[in-house]
Amino acid sequence: MPAYTLATVVAVALVVALEVAVFRTGLFRRPAYWLAMVIVLAFQVPVDGWLTKLSAPIVVYAPEHHSGVRFPWDIPVEDFGFGFALVTLTLSLWERLGRGRVRRPPPSPPPAPGPGG
Amino acid sequence: MAVCLLVTLPLEFVFRARVYRRARRAVAAVTLAAAPFVLWDLVATSAGHWHWNPRYVTGVMLGPLPLEEVLFFVVVPLCGLLTYEAVRALLPSPGPDGGARRQRDERPGAR
Repeated sequence: MPAYTLATVVAVALVVALEVAVFRTGLFRRPAYWLAMVIVLAFQVPVDGWLTKLSAPIVVYAPEHHSGVRFPWDIPVEDFGFGFALVTLTLSLWERLGRGRVRRPPPSPPPAPGPGG
Repeated sequence: MAVCLLVTLPLEFVFRARVYRRARRAVAAVTLAAAPFVLWDLVATSAGHWHWNPRYVTGVMLGPLPLEEVLFFVVVPLCGLLTYEAVRALLPSPGPDGGARRQRDERPGAR
């Protein structure tokens, strides 16, 4: 698998795992998250399309390091994984950082009295 | 990128996204999220995965990365954050911590 393709798959998997297993903010259960991601995607297509158009590319990708699948227009499909991972990690961290101020962790239970106490 | 910032700026006020008002949390989230991706970018750039057309960048470099590329990692997460918070403020979702928005003008019993 080309390096950029592999790195994108790993990045998406890591970010999803971090959210689901570590931060556990419930982000993926929120309609607001998915709606926001659709909006971000809607902006990514024209902007990224303009950055990567093969007629006058601003960012030039080495063909041997990505899958070569470009859609829509000339956008390497890996870019969508990159963008998804970057924005999702930001929102997951944002939710995780905000939680501390809203809800305090429950106080640790008092030590159980020993036998014969 | 300036367009991205300008387009999302009204979200802060019109839809009460209140991201810039929580600046410390926003800076922390964007910095922590951007850091691994900047690292990825540095590795990929040095490995020749991609490069930038010198015709279309200012030529100002921060290490091996063009200034524009570094700004990308600030602008994109920030705009994503504003979009998310604006959507949250608009959606009628009484989630576990969505109770901050109460519609006070709907008094019970008012005709």
